[in-house]
Amino acid sequence: MTSSPSFMLRYIFIIVGILGVQFLFSQDQAVVSGALETNANVFLRDSSINAINTPQYDRQFFGGEAWLNLNVQYQGFTLGTRFDVFNNSNLQNPNDSYSGTGIGRWYIKKRIEKLELSAGYLYDQIGSGVIFRAFENRPLFIDNALYGVQGKYEFNDSWNLMAFVGKQKNALEVHTGNVKGVRLEGFILAGSEDRPLTLAPGIGFVNRTISDENMLKVKDELRTYQTVDRFTPRLNTYAATLYNTFSYRGFNLYTEAALKSNDIFYNAFAEKTELVGTTLGKLQQNAGSVFYGSMSFTAGKLGVTLDAKRTENFSFRIDPTLELLRGIINFLQPLNRQNTYRLTARYSPAAQEISEMAYAADIRYAFSKSLSANINFSDIKTLEGQRLFQELFTEVIYKYKRKWQILTGIQFVTYNQEIFEMKAEVPLVRTIVPYADFLYKFTRRKALRLELQYMDTEQDFGSWIFGAAEYSIAPRWNFEFSGMYNNKPKKANSRGEIEKIFYPSGGVVFINNTQRYSMRYVKQVEGVVCSGGICRLEPAFSGFRFSLNTTF
Amino acid sequence: MIKIFWLAIPIWIFVNLGCTEIDVPLTDPPIPVTDRAVLIEELTGVSCTNCPKGAAALKAIEERFPGKVYAVGVHGILLSEPVKDRSRYDFRTQAGRDLESSFTFLGKPAAVINRVPFSETFMGNPLTGQWQAAVERELQKPHVLTILAAVNYDEEDRRIQLDITGIPLQDLEGLYTISIYLTESGIIDAQQNGNMIEDNYTHNHVLMDMMTSTNGDVFGTDLKKDEAVRRSYSYTLPTTPEGLWNPDNMQVVIMVAANNGSDRSVQQATGIYVRK
Repeated sequence: MTSSPSFMLRYIFIIVGILGVQFLFSQDQAVVSGALETNANVFLRDSSINAINTPQYDRQFFGGEAWLNLNVQYQGFTLGTRFDVFNNSNLQNPNDSYSGTGIGRWYIKKRIEKLELSAGYLYDQIGSGVIFRAFENRPLFIDNALYGVQGKYEFNDSWNLMAFVGKQKNALEVHTGNVKGVRLEGFILAGSEDRPLTLAPGIGFVNRTISDENMLKVKDELRTYQTVDRFTPRLNTYAATLYNTFSYRGFNLYTEAALKSNDIFYNAFAEKTELVGTTLGKLQQNAGSVFYGSMSFTAGKLGVTLDAKRTENFSFRIDPTLELLRGIINFLQPLNRQNTYRLTARYSPAAQEISEMAYAADIRYAFSKSLSANINFSDIKTLEGQRLFQELFTEVIYKYKRKWQILTGIQFVTYNQEIFEMKAEVPLVRTIVPYADFLYKFTRRKALRLELQYMDTEQDFGSWIFGAAEYSIAPRWNFEFSGMYNNKPKKANSRGEIEKIFYPSGGVVFINNTQRYSMRYVKQVEGVVCSGGICRLEPAFSGFRFSLNTTF
Repeated sequence: MIKIFWLAIPIWIFVNLGCTEIDVPLTDPPIPVTDRAVLIEELTGVSCTNCPKGAAALKAIEERFPGKVYAVGVHGILLSEPVKDRSRYDFRTQAGRDLESSFTFLGKPAAVINRVPFSETFMGNPLTGQWQAAVERELQKPHVLTILAAVNYDEEDRRIQLDITGIPLQDLEGLYTISIYLTESGIIDAQQNGNMIEDNYTHNHVLMDMMTSTNGDVFGTDLKKDEAVRRSYSYTLPTTPEGLWNPDNMQVVIMVAANNGSDRSVQQATGIYVRK
């Protein structure tokens, strides 16, 4: 299923470290930089909130992760490594435990006049990422780096051509199967000097070849299908995208059209014929397409953004038998608002790969320097018209000098839990969330922030109240306490009881120059966790969380 | 500028469209004529939305290899709780919990096929579409042990008397254990299935109890070719809950497995109905 990178490369980390230190002392030009991110969780079993039945709650009690980056720049060379540690980590699968230690990334980059060459674990994308995006998202255990080589040639200041070939990273190994691609991007300046009109066109192609090993898995599965569901599988899939950003004064228009040739993918909602009856979910082979447009303009105190996206059969993975967040080659932009408050972010949709028609509109208006408002609307359905998600979000911000500020609004959400969370026979979740965020500055260094939110809903867990208080003493200290209370509970816990449960959290953050230490006690309800528009359902959490972030 | 733009297209054509892809044939692998049989311990649950896919895959495998596959549906811990206000029965048993806890698996449904690990990390195979291929691989292995079983069911006291004879077909080094499962099929009860709940779903191979310990009883050490090993067991079927423990639908599944370090592989399996 996977293969290990060359063992020689494991020593790159050490070599880079040694070279970096040598350069530091022997050459003025050498620049060494790095970063450390550490998470440590202590799991406290709590059956009242279903924080049970995972290895961490049952027997391990501790889990954590750490990433240590080290980069060296010297005479046109850039070398970098990252050491990854996963110790009984629940990041890969929130219901399971993963342990592994090793070189999570290494790369070498060198510029030779107009040509830039890179090798190792690389991150890049084509357009908005619809046909290719190699990226990292640590909270969701996504590290889809390209393990290969990349060349980028700059024809002139405006045009460049990038090509790459490689494999996709899979935790501390790499997936079998190959990806290669080409991207041509440019910049065209037109119009007059005082009224410039710019175009930023691009075109990209990607080819994914399924490995023989993975094709054997596809074949083994297809052999079990009834004739009606069988197809002749193809190893190669070709995807192309054409995109452009048009800008004129305050007007911007991004458009992208992507097509994908016949590709094998798993459709969780397709009906599969069995010997007796049918089940849901099967492999399919279809061509796919994505059409995406985003328009924004500002006129004085008004700012408007309009988005639309149509997605059909665009699941693009290195191995078609992989599911959920694994092996994804591309990235589909979410159009809904990325909320940050606890209750407004509680029901967030994941971008759908198989069938989605999404629209979004965002309007901002500044009445004065102290008063502004924002209204956001998004609507997501399947191409067949099934409701997936709808949100109406309003926000008003009032600032009183530099003394205090209030931010308030109301959110209305309709959320299809059957589709996003694969829960059986549950109704659409409909919520109304009024919220307020008040910030008061006692002095230039000391400030208090208060949050209050209420979620009114008859579905899922029922209604919630959330309150938070955060006292900060700049630049070092931050103390916070929050509580979430299920005041109208609808859902039974593992003991079969419907209880009004209080979920307290509290912690302290200490910042010392570039170091940030955080220690929190957290009791958190099960819910969808989204990061950058990619979402997954995570179980309840009960315990302590420590984190350390630093750069050097 | 335009020249540069068009440059990408011939490069791409040169790289990718050199030749036409030859079709991948979907042929079945050759399965030798064998008396070897395979045990599938299916990790399932009535609250598991994808588990009906596992059951369907299992049924297809049984149809494809009649008499060569014996299945046990383990309703253990994960997603095994009854469907609220819909389930009549609770299929969870201590044996099921213990068995499930003894396996490493990523999610449900998962199949433990002859107790051969699915990967370095997991014993349970979560890919229902891959189960048949795994069974085929097991059937291609040599037949090393024959298990003969005779069951005598006493209608009055609902007592099962089971006599087992194991005959090694070659010398088998190391320790071997025997596990005996009592399963029931044809139980109509609720099951989550995708985004719906089926009230009249037919549950098959439900593990009701084990006649041995969960880890298996000692069957023998360093078994010699043609030297028969005999074991006898008895079990009295409960009368409650009503609707379950129907001897007409019950099967005794027997397997002998290696118990040598990390090798826990099943050497042979067989099954016999309680009431013939």
